[in-house]
Amino acid sequence: MSKRHGIAFKLAAFILSCAFVILVVIVGYNYNYSRDIILRQAEESSRNLARDTTGRIDSVLITVQKVADNIAFSLEDATLSKEEILELNKRVLANNPEIYGMAIAFEPYFLEHDQLFFAPYYYRSGGRIAFNMLGGPNYRYFYMDWYQIPKELERPVWTEPYNDEGGGDVLMATYSVPFFRTVDGKKVFAGVVTADVSLDWLEDMLEEIRIYDSGFAFLLSRHGTFIAHPDRNLIINQTIFTLAEELDSPELRSIGQKMLAGESAFVPVDNVFDDTERYLFYTGLKYGGWSLGVIFPKDEMLAEVRKLSKVTTLIGIAGFIVLAMLIIFIARKITNPLHKLSGAALEIASGNLDLKLPEINSRDEVGDLANSFGVMRTSLKDYIENLTSTTAAKERIESELRIARDIQMGILPKLFPAFPERPEFDVFASIEPAKEVGGDLYDFFFVDDDHFCFLIGDVSGKGVPAAFFMAVTKTLLKVVSEKGLDPGDIITKVNSDLAAENESCMFVTLFLAIMNINTGETRYANAGHNPPVYMPCGGKPEWIPPLGEPVAGVMEGMEYTTKTMTMHPGDVMFIYTDGVSEAMNPENELYSDERLMDILTAMDKPFAPELVKEIDDSIKVFTRGAEQSDDITMLAMQFCGKCDK
Amino acid sequence: MDFNNTKNGDALVVIVSGRMDAITASEFDAQCQSWIEKSETKVVIDLSGLEYISSAGLRSILSAAKKMKGAQGELLFCGLSGMVEEVFNVSGFAAMFKIYSTTEAALAG
Repeated sequence: MSKRHGIAFKLAAFILSCAFVILVVIVGYNYNYSRDIILRQAEESSRNLARDTTGRIDSVLITVQKVADNIAFSLEDATLSKEEILELNKRVLANNPEIYGMAIAFEPYFLEHDQLFFAPYYYRSGGRIAFNMLGGPNYRYFYMDWYQIPKELERPVWTEPYNDEGGGDVLMATYSVPFFRTVDGKKVFAGVVTADVSLDWLEDMLEEIRIYDSGFAFLLSRHGTFIAHPDRNLIINQTIFTLAEELDSPELRSIGQKMLAGESAFVPVDNVFDDTERYLFYTGLKYGGWSLGVIFPKDEMLAEVRKLSKVTTLIGIAGFIVLAMLIIFIARKITNPLHKLSGAALEIASGNLDLKLPEINSRDEVGDLANSFGVMRTSLKDYIENLTSTTAAKERIESELRIARDIQMGILPKLFPAFPERPEFDVFASIEPAKEVGGDLYDFFFVDDDHFCFLIGDVSGKGVPAAFFMAVTKTLLKVVSEKGLDPGDIITKVNSDLAAENESCMFVTLFLAIMNINTGETRYANAGHNPPVYMPCGGKPEWIPPLGEPVAGVMEGMEYTTKTMTMHPGDVMFIYTDGVSEAMNPENELYSDERLMDILTAMDKPFAPELVKEIDDSIKVFTRGAEQSDDITMLAMQFCGKCDK
Repeated sequence: MDFNNTKNGDALVVIVSGRMDAITASEFDAQCQSWIEKSETKVVIDLSGLEYISSAGLRSILSAAKKMKGAQGELLFCGLSGMVEEVFNVSGFAAMFKIYSTTEAALAG
């Protein structure tokens, strides 16, 4: 069985789950949208930053290149003396703060036939310009890259960064420009002009670029060597490819290839350098074949977004809690009166109609319910009071009817055997009254010493009128019979008495017989009563034919005839009312005269009291407890005489 | 209990069907009242559809006949059969009323 939940719970659960979904959607959408904006802005700002930086580096490099190119151009004039060359070199360096150091290196024996080396080198040291004449047994500059490569290529080049031990003894990259002179009409290589750029200076510049807390920029040479990087150990010592190897990152290698190709892109680099997620923007420089990379830490980029989402979520949760409390408050406000009403309903159901109803003043549906409830309580109370008084009245009437019924039954003879001192006959009667007061009657008495009268009657209809009519009829019959008249005359007399003032058209069917108890001669009359059964001793029972004379009590002046028959010792006369033949079973089938006749026929040596009881039992078996609609009255008169029973 | 009234010339033919007992007898009384109000003087009661009649039913018939007589009218009966015919015979009603075998015979009588 599923658990039972109240309205407050259902309402809260429903609204809060909706609110929760809405909250999650809003926070999620907000986070994603803000993140996209931040990322787009980061990409844009990184482009600007990189463009700015590369611009600055490029502007330095172009300056350096131009200076070196100009000197190289000047040196092609052969008239310059040694002193002039030294002066030029020194002056140019002094005028160009971007340049760390400058050398003008000549071919061996080119300027002086006895001088192997001529390479004046001015450089910055401790804020002043220092001078060094390059060349010596330990420093044969002709074999250095900065000298050999431009010589061979016959064009200016940027060297890979290196530590110039012979010169300035700092990390540097050098721009070398070859210069030529015309000797004997031929243009011959005369030497190179170099301009050094200190990598420290580059590094200082890149460090100025602060990108969040842990973001940084780095610079790669033409071959991928780190020229600038916050980790100074990498500079010169590593290329991006050796680093990729070391970090086992094919991703970094592929990025390195694209950077060296001078491409430009904004890419995510997750878990390359360490566990954190980052973005990388790289772009090529115009000069030197260098490439700039800018690393953005994703965490720090999105920190603001996260903070925003966190705040949004907190506000949402706070709102959620407020909403929950509000819903519970409202639901309680609705359900509290309902609880009270429910309790009151149970109380009323248990019969306490005077219960004080809970005070509910809300002007809404609950208030309406409370009002209806009050009205219902009042109506119920009125109804029950009404019902109680009606029931009391009905019970009083019923009890009076019961008493009337008892009185009515009391006037019928009930003591059996009725005449134990008379062996000549045996009489037995029974009446099974229906629930409602009915009008069956029977009686038996001596009219004189030898003549015994017995009768049965059935008043039409039921109820108190029938009972009165029955009592009147029985009294009249007794009085008239004792005058010694014939049965037909008795009924004629009684009929005219009953019919005299009978506006209600009530009537009674009567069978009345008078037997001479010595001879068995029986005279009888029948006023519309159903025919009795004559059961000769040892013979087959038969109906005593009806005389077709009308019921008594309706037509004044009716004459009733008297018939005579003779009963032999052992013979029985069985008279009954239609309550017997019309007794019904639950299927609404009638007991019927045929069934009665069959049972009587089957009887062996009938005996009046047992006969009545046997028929009574068979009726009870037949009806199976179905409600009895009419009185069931039977009378059996047995003539004994000298029957040898 | 159902009543089916049809006017045939001066006479009213009433076909009664169902059971006529203490409970339904009052319906017959009410019908009788309506005949008198409409000043019917000849009412033929066709009892061929009646399954059962109790003593209360007989009382209603007696009462109706008496009222009709008071209003210078008469009740005629036809179509008696089975239990109803037996009750009419036993109770002597057959001797008190005009009984015909068919409606046509009653209308002619």
